[in-house]
Amino acid sequence: MSVKMTRGKRFAAMGLGLALLAGLLSGCTGESGKETIRFTFSKREAIGFMTKLVADYNASQDETEVVLDTSGVDVVSASFVRGNPPDIALANYNMETSRFVQRGALSDLSGTNAASTIREDLQPLMDQYGSYPGRTSALPYSVMASSVIYNKEIFAKHGVVVPTTWSELIAACEKLKAAGVTPFYATWKDDWTIAQGWFDYSVGGQVDTIDFFKKLDAEGVNVGQDSAVSFEKDFDQPVEKMLTLAKGYVNKDAASRAYGDGNLAFSKGEAAMYLQGPWAFSEIAKTAPDLNLGTFPLPMTEDPEDLRVRVNVDLAAWIPEASKHKEAARDFLEYLYQPEVIEAYNQSQLGFTPTKDAAGVPDPRIQGMVKYYDAGDVYQGPSVLVPRTIPIMNYTQAIVFGAAPATTLRTLDADWARLAFRQ
Amino acid sequence: MSTITTPSSTSAAAPQKQRARRRVEPIFYFFLVPSLVLFTLAITIPGIIGIFFSFTNSIGIGDWDFVGLTNYIAIFSDPAILQSYLFTFGFSIVTVIAVNVVAFLLAVGLTSRIRMKSALRTVFVIPMVVSGIIIAYVFNFLFSNSLPSLGAAAGIPWLESSLLANPDLAWVAVVLVTAWQAVPGALLIYIAGLVAVPGDVYEAAEIDGASKFQQLLKITLPLVSGYVVINIILGFKGFLNAYDIIVGLTNGGPGTSTRSIAMTVIAGFNGGDYAYQMANATIFFVVAIVISLVQLSLTRGRNAL
Repeated sequence: MSVKMTRGKRFAAMGLGLALLAGLLSGCTGESGKETIRFTFSKREAIGFMTKLVADYNASQDETEVVLDTSGVDVVSASFVRGNPPDIALANYNMETSRFVQRGALSDLSGTNAASTIREDLQPLMDQYGSYPGRTSALPYSVMASSVIYNKEIFAKHGVVVPTTWSELIAACEKLKAAGVTPFYATWKDDWTIAQGWFDYSVGGQVDTIDFFKKLDAEGVNVGQDSAVSFEKDFDQPVEKMLTLAKGYVNKDAASRAYGDGNLAFSKGEAAMYLQGPWAFSEIAKTAPDLNLGTFPLPMTEDPEDLRVRVNVDLAAWIPEASKHKEAARDFLEYLYQPEVIEAYNQSQLGFTPTKDAAGVPDPRIQGMVKYYDAGDVYQGPSVLVPRTIPIMNYTQAIVFGAAPATTLRTLDADWARLAFRQ
Repeated sequence: MSTITTPSSTSAAAPQKQRARRRVEPIFYFFLVPSLVLFTLAITIPGIIGIFFSFTNSIGIGDWDFVGLTNYIAIFSDPAILQSYLFTFGFSIVTVIAVNVVAFLLAVGLTSRIRMKSALRTVFVIPMVVSGIIIAYVFNFLFSNSLPSLGAAAGIPWLESSLLANPDLAWVAVVLVTAWQAVPGALLIYIAGLVAVPGDVYEAAEIDGASKFQQLLKITLPLVSGYVVINIILGFKGFLNAYDIIVGLTNGGPGTSTRSIAMTVIAGFNGGDYAYQMANATIFFVVAIVISLVQLSLTRGRNAL
């Protein structure tokens, strides 16, 4: 009896396995004559949103069946190597993707409607990661802006107004410190938080990063003490200022605090300012949903007009050259760029829409950056423009922990030259 | 072997002769072949491909060109890579010494006549069964939170800042945690060695008036020296490949002060520096072979003793 039961179960399991397998296979061949395209998207926070969007699209027409693939970036790189990339992707635009761009692995999107809606002044940001001659290889889909996050209640309580110059910033810090409030909450245990916030805001607020990296590329192997531009020469001042803030105005245990600790502490009002991106808002909201927060660009000069926010192309759309379903993928691309779709997405993720006539971002927490984004007063963080093989995050951490800035920046110069020498 | 088979084959009949020629049972090949195939497919071939690409400028995908020895030349002037070698070797030597001293003393304690011997042995072996990355995260928390707050409460200023945040001392934390995990393995080997030492030599030594310390130094240590060598070799090999505990503990930081060789190699893969780090891995491979050969000759000498 019991033997029969197990055998029955085994058959059931086998049947289930076969059914699953059949389901997978049919996913490849397409059901009821629909063309199937594989859509890669792996931004964890937005998978729910995108799943619904894909379902809506699949229901709205009967030519294409979009399959959402959330397996992540590493799998995508490997799929390119195997010659079996996704048909379309929305992915973080960074040095990784730039490799596909530069080696011509992505198809030209310049003829699409979507491409014509993109704000032209954002193109330099895309080009900073390299381009392929005669092609628009990727289109920005969601831009994330980041700057100083501040606790409005603490600012109001101590009569501090949002600073617009470097000396105002120092004055504000002094005022907060005198009142016993920690001005900045720092989480230096996680080196990326230093690179993304402390280092990028300081450098980007003062150096024209687009121009700097263009010149640096031109110098190539010659980058060093005798070159026209170098990290040592051009980043020296902003790094000094960063250290002024880092030494005088942070929590005492900054060196042993991690990103998670920072979100918790900031949500409890343990500091007035926090150098993080908009992704931190949802984390802070987990413990303090009603905390009154705002954002402002870190002022690094004495000119109150000279303010910029750090941006990154959080998502860009691209269609690989090797895709066998480019036409269907382009149709889906146009759907993704319909104003109500792209705006709804960015609204849900506190992102900025990179299209020309996009409606303003309503969330009050990022309201402080809208003005700068709309005017194009933006820069991409230097830490993400350095190839990842150079451990710049570790270097910035070393500087904050007391390594001599000049020496560390000189190491960075040497690394850059060495990379230019071999690639 | 041949001395046995030769006379039997001359005296035996034809079928027996055939069997004698086939001496090896085919079943042994069945044991070996799967491993050999897997090893070739998963280790040897990728290894050769990797060495091949170390002479190119490949980034892992797309077009590439031969660049000769460029990558190798660049490595020898790269302070980051040289530092990772320096760190890895320094760390391995210190950890090997720490692990073996602690494990040996523990083993001596655990093989002597004490109460609750089995229970204590179990306790000391527990760290071995926990995965490295988990141990690293637990200690990470202890170093970053528990110890500093303990220091603050007790008013010990140097304990208030995390050991992991100190560029000059973070390696000590890495050694401590690695040793904590590695001691049980060495401990088991030492216990096995100590149990094998016959009791009569101690009795003889006692009659001759040797103190306990003299017995340890002059009898126990020489008699388990083979085990010491095994532990040092196994330990050193393992520590040279240090990766998971460092990633969980310091992630190479603060700055670049605790980046191991394995970490630089993997960072290169992730950062589109495939060919360059392949060259680095090739050099590391050669270094590892040299070390193995040296250690092999050392063990041979030891076995002859």
